Amino acid sequence: MTIKTPEIESSKNDGDIELSLPLQQDLTDWQTGHEFTVVGKPHSRLEGAEKVTGRAQYSADVRLSGQLYGAVLRCPHPHAKLISIDTSEAEALPGVHAVISQNDQFDIDWYSEEAPLFSDQLRFVGDEVAAVAAVSTEVAADALRLIKVNYEPLPFVTDMDQALADDAPAIHDGDNRVEEDSEYERGDCAAGLQQADITVENEYRTQTALHTALEAHGATAHWSGDELIVYESTQGVHAIHGLLCEKLGLPMNKVRVIEQHMGGGFGAKQTLWKPTLFAALLSRKAGRPVQLLLDREGENLATGNRNSTLQQVKLGASNDGKLTAIKMTCRINAGAYATAGEASNVAGIFQHLYHCENVKTSQVRVYTNTGPAVAFRAPGYVEACFALESAMDELAHKLEIDPLELRRINYTGRDQTGDKPWSSPDGLKTCYERLDEEFGWSQRKAPSSEGSIRRGYGLAAHEWMAGMGNPPAAVFIKLNTDGSADVVTGTQDIGTGTRTVLAQVAAEAIGLPMESVRLLLGDTAIGGVAPVSQGSFTVPTLAPAVRGAGENLRRQILEAAALLLETDATTLEIKDGEIVSTEGKHKSLTVADVCDELAPQSLQAHGSRRANPTDTTIRPFGALAAEVAVDTQTGEITVIRIVNAPDCGRILNSKTANSQVIGGVTQGIGFALTEERMVDHNIGLVLNADLEEYKIPTVADIPTITHAEVNLPDLNANNTGAKGLGELPLIPAAPAILNAIFDATGLRFTQLPINRARVLAALQAQQETAE
Amino acid sequence: MKAFSYSPAPTAAEASNEKDSRAEFFAGGTDLLTRMKLNIVSPDALIDLKSADLPNGVSEQNGGLTIGALTTLRDIEQSELIAEKFPVLAQAAALAATPQIRNRATVAGNLLQRPRCWYYRNRHVDCWLKGGSDCPAATGQNQQHAIFDQSPCKAVHTSDLAPALVALNARVKVRGADGERELSIEDFFAPPTEDRRRETTLADDDVVLSIELPSDASHSVYLKAMDRKVWAFALVSVAAIKSAEGWAVVLGGVANNPVRLGPLEKALENTDASDHNALDKQHDKAFADAEPLEHNGYKVTLAKRLIRRAIEQLSD
Amino acid sequence: MSDNSPTSGKQLVTMTVNGEQTEVAIEPRRVLLDVLRHDVGLTGSKKVCEMGDCGACTVHLDGAPVYSCLVLGIECAGKKVDTIEGLAKGNQLDPIQQAFIDHDAFQCGFCTSGQIMSLKALFEDSPKPSDEQIVTAVSGNLCRCGAYQNIVKAAQAVRDEAKPETRNDD
Repeated sequence: MTIKTPEIESSKNDGDIELSLPLQQDLTDWQTGHEFTVVGKPHSRLEGAEKVTGRAQYSADVRLSGQLYGAVLRCPHPHAKLISIDTSEAEALPGVHAVISQNDQFDIDWYSEEAPLFSDQLRFVGDEVAAVAAVSTEVAADALRLIKVNYEPLPFVTDMDQALADDAPAIHDGDNRVEEDSEYERGDCAAGLQQADITVENEYRTQTALHTALEAHGATAHWSGDELIVYESTQGVHAIHGLLCEKLGLPMNKVRVIEQHMGGGFGAKQTLWKPTLFAALLSRKAGRPVQLLLDREGENLATGNRNSTLQQVKLGASNDGKLTAIKMTCRINAGAYATAGEASNVAGIFQHLYHCENVKTSQVRVYTNTGPAVAFRAPGYVEACFALESAMDELAHKLEIDPLELRRINYTGRDQTGDKPWSSPDGLKTCYERLDEEFGWSQRKAPSSEGSIRRGYGLAAHEWMAGMGNPPAAVFIKLNTDGSADVVTGTQDIGTGTRTVLAQVAAEAIGLPMESVRLLLGDTAIGGVAPVSQGSFTVPTLAPAVRGAGENLRRQILEAAALLLETDATTLEIKDGEIVSTEGKHKSLTVADVCDELAPQSLQAHGSRRANPTDTTIRPFGALAAEVAVDTQTGEITVIRIVNAPDCGRILNSKTANSQVIGGVTQGIGFALTEERMVDHNIGLVLNADLEEYKIPTVADIPTITHAEVNLPDLNANNTGAKGLGELPLIPAAPAILNAIFDATGLRFTQLPINRARVLAALQAQQETAE
Repeated sequence: MKAFSYSPAPTAAEASNEKDSRAEFFAGGTDLLTRMKLNIVSPDALIDLKSADLPNGVSEQNGGLTIGALTTLRDIEQSELIAEKFPVLAQAAALAATPQIRNRATVAGNLLQRPRCWYYRNRHVDCWLKGGSDCPAATGQNQQHAIFDQSPCKAVHTSDLAPALVALNARVKVRGADGERELSIEDFFAPPTEDRRRETTLADDDVVLSIELPSDASHSVYLKAMDRKVWAFALVSVAAIKSAEGWAVVLGGVANNPVRLGPLEKALENTDASDHNALDKQHDKAFADAEPLEHNGYKVTLAKRLIRRAIEQLSD
Repeated sequence: MSDNSPTSGKQLVTMTVNGEQTEVAIEPRRVLLDVLRHDVGLTGSKKVCEMGDCGACTVHLDGAPVYSCLVLGIECAGKKVDTIEGLAKGNQLDPIQQAFIDHDAFQCGFCTSGQIMSLKALFEDSPKPSDEQIVTAVSGNLCRCGAYQNIVKAAQAVRDEAKPETRNDD
């Protein structure tokens, strides 16, 4: 039997495929109530067995014949001029195969400021000065100690406020502002504040936080002839591919970037960092594969951070709780350079979350002599949500309106910056309802006290600027001759469950059981271009394309089956790998049988991602409530329970979605209570470039975390109804915890993190005021 | 780490004889290896004491207790004898670090550990404790530093066992160049000086053999305040004992060495533990000579509260 | 230097890794983690902090969980080292491993080996641990993806499904 492969309309690359079957004309059938076989189910991760047995291969686990190990020499000064560097002793050390530094005169620039790869202007502690490749990590470390560098220390400024002083040392040319202030105003903010019956005003400070992915940045690089193969720890294999080609001047068909597993990124691995390029350059120089993974110190100093902020917030409201004005002015600590992955949108949430006619925001980034900032899971929104939602809580308290009610009073179903509706106008409202149900917000007890322990409750809401997905995404499915399918994508699984979720969508769309689907990703040589896994983008970008390809393949299978069964394809369906008749009259036939008949030919299908609609703004939302206990004697804070209700559209896999929720909330607890990069501004050094004093939460710091599923399919967004989830649970955690601390103690903290030192100091001040 | 040679010591005596200033004794390694990795110390040789004939484990002797130098924190945490007779010590061991560290860290190494001060541990900082001229913590980020002025160094002793052992009047048996000797734990610890920039009085070639606990302290408690629920060094800790001889109250995390609050101990004998006002007055006195730095005033409050809590628990 | 004086150069060390006698030639300064990852070829134990601050390198040394980044390879001569690679019997996963998959007790998976090895030691000591013991057992293992809640659930499931110890007289 032969069959003609149907024309693939999706190859036009601008939309979901058009199907000939009337039932699925426009792919809007995945409505609430649609019966799914695979999608939405709590399927375990496909790579689970690899990860629990230690067999999963991460970048640092690659072992190639003759492989060398790299290490990086870093500047110990916050600001210095490199006078000279002598690497001769390091090069002469037995076991050292390559050293690179300024002496190599690479014609490569870096950062948005286009600084040379090895610059003689060193602008932060940790700035890269040289790199070596040697037969072992120990010899590489020895080699670093033999490099002689002559620095001329320069005046420095590591504090953001001081950086704007008139006499502050200039980090680049100019006044340490990265750019002009970014301004936004709608309505008349000053008038709105004047109209207000009540105003609240505060200055909020958020700390510099470190991503702290357990797997450091870096890569194993290997030249095979003139082709470069890089095993990279990244959130975007294609982004690394493009940037490596650009920096090295190589054609794209000579570079291949591979990553099957990644040990965490959280935003810091969304762009190319120097260690990967060092690995490639060292490998070329040494003529052997080079593995260069950073140590924790390098990781904490020089691969990005969540920028600290100073936010001045003023809200005006009428006595009935309606916001009359929102004003926010913000400074952001960019560090010494602007990076490609910098995307801290602090202003966004002030412009979007609540209905308000008069809004004015202004933000500016400031250079300091510290490591460059880079997007960190919901960049800007985590910082801003703390300020806005603390201010809203204060407003609720002053107006004696329940905090949840105040948020409902100021509800909007529209994007007020674009004057169009949200893609799911009831999304946030539904989050409120689900939160109330699962947490029991409306039924919560009054704040209580027992001995020295005070208990209280707090909540916060948010939206998120991304999470909508975007083109490009190109998916290719190859139906094997035994009826199993290989789904080829160009994305990557950064630990969020992408592999599993996309396989579920493919299985559902084709009609195959999960065991029959293999999902391929993480290799630029096999998959089509896909975006960086950032901004809660991956599922809403890839899943619609996977579905399109799967539906296309299903149509082909049905057409082939119809020929075999001498019937009309519209009377057939595929369920769990079986061809079934909607009229109940055919003999049993499986997808495998169809393939067997077609062999040695096989079916294949493409799918791609169409552009997002322009008449609506796609937005995920969320709300979170916390119960917290504060020991007023010892300042100890205990988070007792948290409920998070995120609107991520359709939940494609409830198990991995839950993990995103508990994971995001856990990071939020760290941001609220323990995490802060410490800098001594007198000497300009980072004091906790380690995991000892940069304290991320432990198992004992975590409360009961409940995911109140919202599961509201957003078919205005795409054909799966799914939006992004990854960033959502982190955004409202800190303000909800801080609002609960206020409820418990009456203490309003405006600076993060809140540790014992700050609690005890505030309690003391409270006591003194009372006396 | 720079390269070094490694030799297992057959006996404590040979270990002591073999030791020169370029060598380090090595047992659990949980502190030494971190300092070597940071290039704060770079010995040419490690002398492994685990192979030496050092006492290991917990045993009752003459009504007291002997804890061999190589006894791990895990052994102490799990010893029924210690849990029953020296709960302050069992609790201190259980609150120290993590199970993995406790499986390796020895009691002797725990007492000899160097500060976790983030200036001391930064190889780019030439601080006073490392032979430099001043202590950057005095005017820097001193949230975790000393509130009692014992030396130019503002680092605190982070051992959890140390305050407990000071409260217990432990004695330390040592093998040195001149053979064995025993010293009180208060003589074992001493704030660093111009000529001896470390936190103990041991000579370079002294090998700790054992810790001797003279008498039971079944009515005792160890409280530790951290910035995480587990796995952090103490911001402040308190070891407290109530016995027929009176009170013992010793603080950790507040100075170069554990701080015994002698006058408070005495005063407590004549103070009703339920009389909070009277207690508060005694606390204020005990901290009259505290000299908190710019960012660590909270430690005074925290220490007072922990002491009060310990006293309450022991007075029930 | 006399012939028998110690050296900082490579020396032959024999240890039992996952039940197999293993000989490696290592410098004294090479930590057990690097011995496993580079000399033995077992990369399941992960290098993260190298300072005993994270737990991703947790292995069993003579049956007790330790941070292999803070153990020298050379001191393991004659000792028994067990790693994550030794847990499954062929394709038969250890119940802890299976529970980790079932309860989604990881996202990126980088801390997973260490978490599982810490719990393995716990269950070898006490097959029916309390919740508190479970939390304590993994209190020295950081997870940045924040899977803690599911790690605890996985351990509880192993505990609750563990068969009662068989009696000798049966």
